[in-house]
Amino acid sequence: MPAVLTVDPRSGVPIYLQIIEQIKRSVALGVLQPGEQLPTVKQLAIDLTVNPNTVARAYRELEREHVIETSPGRGSFVRANGVAEAPKVAAEIGGDALDVALRETKSVGLERHEVRELFELALQRWYGAELSE
Amino acid sequence: MNDITISHLRKVYGTTVAVDDVSLEIPSASVFGVLGPNGAGKTTTFKCLLGLARPTSGTILFGGKPLEPATFERIAYVPERSVLYDWMTVAEHVEMTRRAFTSFDHKRAHELLGMFHIDPRRRVRVLSKGMKTAVMVALAFARNAEILVLDEPTGGLDPINQRHVLSLMINEAAKGNSVVFSSHQIGQVERAAEQIAVIDCGRLVLEGLVDDLKGDRKIVEGIFPDTTFTLDGIANDARVARSDRTERILRLMVTAGANDIAAKLTAAGAMGVRVLDLNLEDIFLYAVSPATATTDIVAKGTTS
Amino acid sequence: MNYVEWLRIRNCLRVVAIILAIFVLLAVVLRVSVARYMSPDAWIEHFHDPGTTVSHVVLPDGTKRTILDNAAEQTHVVIDDRGQQGKHIVVTEPTARAHTDTKHVNVGSIQVQESRHGSLTTTTIDTNGSVPMLYYMAFADLFAIVIGTFLAAPLAREIDGHLEVSLTKPVSRARFAVGAIGIDVLGILGTSLLTVVALYICQLLFETPSLDFSGINARAIAMGIASPLAWYALLCALTTWLNRSWIGVLAAALPIAGVVGILTLLPTQNVIALFIHDTAWVISRLNPLSYVSMAVPSDDGTVSYRPDNFGLRFTLEVMFFVVYGAIAVWRWQRVEA
Repeated sequence: MPAVLTVDPRSGVPIYLQIIEQIKRSVALGVLQPGEQLPTVKQLAIDLTVNPNTVARAYRELEREHVIETSPGRGSFVRANGVAEAPKVAAEIGGDALDVALRETKSVGLERHEVRELFELALQRWYGAELSE
Repeated sequence: MNDITISHLRKVYGTTVAVDDVSLEIPSASVFGVLGPNGAGKTTTFKCLLGLARPTSGTILFGGKPLEPATFERIAYVPERSVLYDWMTVAEHVEMTRRAFTSFDHKRAHELLGMFHIDPRRRVRVLSKGMKTAVMVALAFARNAEILVLDEPTGGLDPINQRHVLSLMINEAAKGNSVVFSSHQIGQVERAAEQIAVIDCGRLVLEGLVDDLKGDRKIVEGIFPDTTFTLDGIANDARVARSDRTERILRLMVTAGANDIAAKLTAAGAMGVRVLDLNLEDIFLYAVSPATATTDIVAKGTTS
Repeated sequence: MNYVEWLRIRNCLRVVAIILAIFVLLAVVLRVSVARYMSPDAWIEHFHDPGTTVSHVVLPDGTKRTILDNAAEQTHVVIDDRGQQGKHIVVTEPTARAHTDTKHVNVGSIQVQESRHGSLTTTTIDTNGSVPMLYYMAFADLFAIVIGTFLAAPLAREIDGHLEVSLTKPVSRARFAVGAIGIDVLGILGTSLLTVVALYICQLLFETPSLDFSGINARAIAMGIASPLAWYALLCALTTWLNRSWIGVLAAALPIAGVVGILTLLPTQNVIALFIHDTAWVISRLNPLSYVSMAVPSDDGTVSYRPDNFGLRFTLEVMFFVVYGAIAVWRWQRVEA
């Protein structure tokens, strides 16, 4: 597994959630291919230097959300239809990010049209000018 | 069968109550962190746990049975201060441990000593405090014990060796053994511990799974248009553990339902309602020294 | 389980062995330097006056006999050299010239006997008298008491910062304490044994020792073994109780015992002296060493001692060992880290 996973134990976000989010992100970006094997709970715990039960909890949750599947004795693998899940996961991550952004803009008292202007500026910066120009 | 049950432990020294009605359930195959300010009663609790001090009242059971000499085959202990014999060499300590415990792995002990860069031929007298701790840690982790009780196992160690100890603890958990440890290094506790207990002034003030504590406990902050806002309904909510009010800004520390309470604040007319995460250090400070915690949160609020 | 104690007595016995080795070395040096004086030739020189005739003869049993005769001086010396079996020397000379004025001297294996008849004195010197084990045991006892004092306080040493190690071993507290004491007992017995062996070797350099184990000697051996162990047990009990100042207790033990012993000899002329004497006497009854009597040979050939209550005294020593040891173990059961 590529060393894409890093966790910040000092963050207020529980470690298992961080692991879940990062594995989902890896699947969404194609860094983790469908059918690819994940490290064992024990190995990942040792690699990340975190409690194995935390890793186990993350894996259980990922399995519940149908991102990975575990066969006893063989290990944990990214689900074959993980690619199909990818846009869903990407949308989820994007949606969460926008929620946080809008919560902030609302908290500083920006009006709807102000937010839209800022949004267009940001789109230009990150996605380049519209090709329709 | 490696779980530990502490029921209503009470230990009084003369007129000082060192441990006051502490009850803990430490499950087997887990890492359990014990946090608390200096002198809070953590070390006394460990001593009562291991029969080094006699509880004034309360019971301690290992897998449902009281502690007896044979139980020590399965328990490895690293005390807070060095208990090694200054006049003996490190190798003699290894031999002493080998003779006392049947499941001791002599080779592993030398591996671990090597990892900590300790020459077994040296006399303990010439070792630094940190190296003495490292020797005790090496001996304990070479024991193949099912239960490890570690009291500040990283005291005096440099950051590299601290990380070694952390990895050792996590390895034990991965093998299915139990680790109970106390530490002031909250970052380490956050990584290694699945469950924690906070002891302050001899009492248990907080207990739970680290992930759940972090997931549930949040700061909900709101800015009101003027200073004339009222909080009935919100302040009385059982989930609000603490509220701090500075002019127009209200900060609530909640133990659950952060989003719900945020919505209530918005309904009460607050603007800029935010939900802030708390890490373990914040949670710990709120539990034992709210004044210190609040300052920290204020500082965090102004920079993020 | 008591490996630390093993190491302690091992280090201790090593020191004892070195000290004893030095003694043996000194004995070797002594042997070499007095070698000249041990041969019949030395005696010949000693008695050589003009007119002395010297003759040598070998007796049927291999003894080399040297006869010095000086009729004019009325001196006749017969020296029988039995090699390793020692020497038998008879000196007949005018009383005026006799060297010794004691009738009987018994030092170790050397016996000197003098008898007068008329103007002549006959002095008989035997160098291979049997050695009472008493002498060996006196040394061994002394050494064992000192070493016992050094080794004492095994439990106090554990209480002094190592309880987290000794109380978390998979054996009962009682077993641990008894084990530590047992190993120290072995160390003390080992010291006695090494001392006896060293003395034997020292004597062997000079002649073949024949040891006398009978009567008083057997009693000396018994007391010599029991009393240091009882003294050790007393110190164990004291230090496991006063564990914070165990070093002070060990250092002061023998001096205080000595002072108390001397105070029991105070002449009781007035009330204060009586009080001090009686208090000291009571305290000394608790000290196992008060019951050891040192047998001293006197000039007239008899050895003065008090054999009558040996049975009682020996039993007391054994009881002291058991009771004081039990106190130490009992205190250990209750100690907290």
